[in-house]
Amino acid sequence: MTELRLEGVSKRYGDRDDGTTALCSVDLTVRDGEFFTLVGPSGCGKTTTLRTVAGFETPTEGTVSFDGESMTDVPPERRDVGVVFQSYALFPHMTVAENVGYGLQFRESTERKPTDERVDELLELVDLSGMGERSPDQLSGGQQQRVALARALAPEPDLLLLDEPMSALDARLRESLRLQLKRIQSALEITTVYVTHDQAEALAVSDRLAVMNRGRLEQVGTPQEIYHEPETRFVAEFVGDNNVFDGTVRATNDGRTTVAVGDATFELASPAVDGGALESAASADDRDRFGFCVRPDALSRDADRNRFDVTVETCEFLGESVRVHGRWNELPIVLRLSDVPDDVVTVGFDPDDAHVL
Amino acid sequence: MSPAGRTVFVDRARDCLERRALWLTALATAAVLVAMLYLPVSIVFANAILADGAVTLEHFADVLTDPFYVGVLADVFADPLAIGTHLASLAGWLGAISLSISLEYPIPGTDVPIPWLAVETPGVRTGLFGFTAYQAALSTVASVALGLPAAYVLANYEFAGRRTLRSLTIVPFVLPGIMVAVGFYAMFGRAGTLNSILGVVGLGPFPFVETNPLAIVVLAHAFYNAPLVARITVAAWESVDRRAVETARSLGAGERRAFRDVVVPQLAPAILTGALLTFIFTFMTFPIVLALGGLGLATVEVWIYDRIQRLDYAEAATLAVLETILSLGLTYAYLRYESAQAGFSRAATDRPREALFPDLETMLSPKRLAIGAYGVVALVVFVGPMASLVVGSFTDGSGFTLRNYAFLLERQLDGASFQTRPLPAIRNSLLFGLATLLVAVPMGVVISVLTVRAGRSGTVVDTLAMLPLAVSGIVFGIGLLQGLVFGIALPGGWRLQITGAVAIVAAHAVAAYPFVTRNVSPLLSSLDPAMVESARALGASRYRALIDVELPLVASGIVAGAAFAFAISIGEFSSTVILASGSESYTMPVAVERYLGRRSGPAIAMGTLLLVVTAVSFVVIERVGGRYEL
Repeated sequence: MTELRLEGVSKRYGDRDDGTTALCSVDLTVRDGEFFTLVGPSGCGKTTTLRTVAGFETPTEGTVSFDGESMTDVPPERRDVGVVFQSYALFPHMTVAENVGYGLQFRESTERKPTDERVDELLELVDLSGMGERSPDQLSGGQQQRVALARALAPEPDLLLLDEPMSALDARLRESLRLQLKRIQSALEITTVYVTHDQAEALAVSDRLAVMNRGRLEQVGTPQEIYHEPETRFVAEFVGDNNVFDGTVRATNDGRTTVAVGDATFELASPAVDGGALESAASADDRDRFGFCVRPDALSRDADRNRFDVTVETCEFLGESVRVHGRWNELPIVLRLSDVPDDVVTVGFDPDDAHVL
Repeated sequence: MSPAGRTVFVDRARDCLERRALWLTALATAAVLVAMLYLPVSIVFANAILADGAVTLEHFADVLTDPFYVGVLADVFADPLAIGTHLASLAGWLGAISLSISLEYPIPGTDVPIPWLAVETPGVRTGLFGFTAYQAALSTVASVALGLPAAYVLANYEFAGRRTLRSLTIVPFVLPGIMVAVGFYAMFGRAGTLNSILGVVGLGPFPFVETNPLAIVVLAHAFYNAPLVARITVAAWESVDRRAVETARSLGAGERRAFRDVVVPQLAPAILTGALLTFIFTFMTFPIVLALGGLGLATVEVWIYDRIQRLDYAEAATLAVLETILSLGLTYAYLRYESAQAGFSRAATDRPREALFPDLETMLSPKRLAIGAYGVVALVVFVGPMASLVVGSFTDGSGFTLRNYAFLLERQLDGASFQTRPLPAIRNSLLFGLATLLVAVPMGVVISVLTVRAGRSGTVVDTLAMLPLAVSGIVFGIGLLQGLVFGIALPGGWRLQITGAVAIVAAHAVAAYPFVTRNVSPLLSSLDPAMVESARALGASRYRALIDVELPLVASGIVAGAAFAFAISIGEFSSTVILASGSESYTMPVAVERYLGRRSGPAIAMGTLLLVVTAVSFVVIERVGGRYEL
């Protein structure tokens, strides 16, 4: 169907250089049929990116193209995109069926099914058969969200754009709708761009995702790559729980790097093997500011290397595990343990489980 | 071309037109504004600074150094650098102020002596501008004094008809000035209702209007503006969060203290807004003063009208420019103030209201008695003139009569063509009202759409939209007369000339569209922008999104705007009286004024017809589901 490509897309508000920069030369390719997620904190530019793709914002620089065709001068109504907003934006003065059918009148093709039939088909797709005559305000939030999805899909768009479509719903409903969305998306094989601030949701639902911060792409990759191999400190801290350490390289030998953090030393698998970071970080300055991270699940009471004492502050019982917030050397530490620990717990990690930033 | 090809062609053409419809409407609006607002106003300005084709400030110098216009300030303007002399005369004036204390017996029939402090100031010549400001200030004080008790009662007490009364506060604002003037005649005139009532108890008749025309003019201004003050204040009062008052009470403030510390600061901006608006409106007052005071009480506006009647256009234009500068300054101050207060407006909370008259005992409490007394005053000022108008049209000194209507009928049937006949006036008023509505609504809506889309820079457009409010009807009228009615020579031997009905409708539309904009904009800006964007993503052009989504959702604002447009057209007097002079395009207010010149009976009958038409149009539009906001 459609491949979406952004090349050097920048967006500045205000007319001169001192205007705020919402997007800073974003390069991105969303593959045909892919479920792609833009994730980041509020104000990171993810919604601006989506709106630029939809044509609601004009990029200050750069191009947006669908299947190699530039969309620069194409108004939103000619782009064949379906958009679902956080507020759903259902037309309150139309019935559910009229909402879903609204976009059909603008499609040119002659060999379309009659509008009514298509509307019924879509309502069935989102499990709302028979609700067509209702008014949007008679529906629950989750139902409204599905009507918005059906409305966006009705004209068979090339691209489906979802701007935080779940954030107004409660957690359980969000999960079930997420599954339904994913199922519909893979059945239709429609290229989809999904915007969310919820990194867990992004990891759960995406084929690939981009983590954004301050108008830039921090990292693009599969959920596994983003989770296990964060390329920047921001990604490491934003995606999932993480423990980030800053230290100084003491020695590098035998595939092992010794790093001093405060008055403790840790031994890590040498990043030269891992990602080649130390090679480029060979300068004395970089060796002095050496960062690495260890996921909570890699910190275990049973590990016999790199052990340190964590002072426990609060524990959250999550059912299958306990999330422990504590401190070591003034540094906040997050652990995943099987049961509630004592006031102080000693944990360690395998040199191979540390990821160098 | 094959049929299919033709269909495609037609589709393309329609599509193309649709996509540009918004901009085309915007262009048409801009064209109407340029031709009917900016051009006339600039012509007036040009007239004021041109003498025999050369730019000169002579006209201004003439006006500013004439004590007739600017009073004591004339000397200052004549020789602004002679500061010493001016200070000396100011000191001399201050020195002449004397204080005296004497025993007076102010209560007739009693011998109670009261020490009376008297301040005697030597007279100051205020001039025309000074007097205009003076009467505007008096009117403002009267409007606030009459409006605040109404706001207090409406915001704090529950009684049958409270909501209706609250929505009725909008009505005086759109009543034609000339009709109100006639109503005041019918109420306070020598043969008016008040004298009839007083006559029953053996008093009078008093010549209220003749003795103190200024008081009657001020009262008539209060009739217009007190409901406005009340309306704005009630809105602020209702938006005061009850919990803020309760917090103050729980922190130890007494009832009065909490009122002073929490409620008053939130009411003050609203009251000041109402007062500023009242001052602006009454500074530019025209039909009221013309009809009730005549040249004896001439304000700047009335004097300009008189100059035009005497064909002294340069002087009229100069005065008009000075007046416009003053009123623009005031309007600017108002807009600045209003936007600074924007944070105050919040959704009204449901506040508990006391029953107004729960039982007999409470009814006799001082507070309730005061409210009752206010009710009587309100009855005399607000209901009296309108009721007298209707009653007066059916009575003469001796009782019930249809003579006044018979006169109108007779005039209609036998009147010579140069005479003012009632039916054409009614027909013109309705037609112009309808045409104004059809022109002003698209204009107002398109300006709303552009303002709301413009976001921050929207305030500029908003200020432009307020311009017609700051330019008085008379100024506007002279501009139209000299520009479009007389015609403007264009290159190539063409003349741009717009006269009669078209000019009147365009003038009304320009006066009316700000009300459409002010009713539609708030609704439009509160719409979720994602609505339009959804429609566009689904394939609708910007124009289709406007038609399919935005307009249906702001329909109530559009209906209210349309009601205003219609009512303003029906009531518009100042520019119509200029544009319709010597033509067949006179409207009902103009007819009232023409009849007023001779005997009051037929004018009152005509005024009653005007009241009926205005009232019916408002009722009709309220049935359609309008929602009024100023």
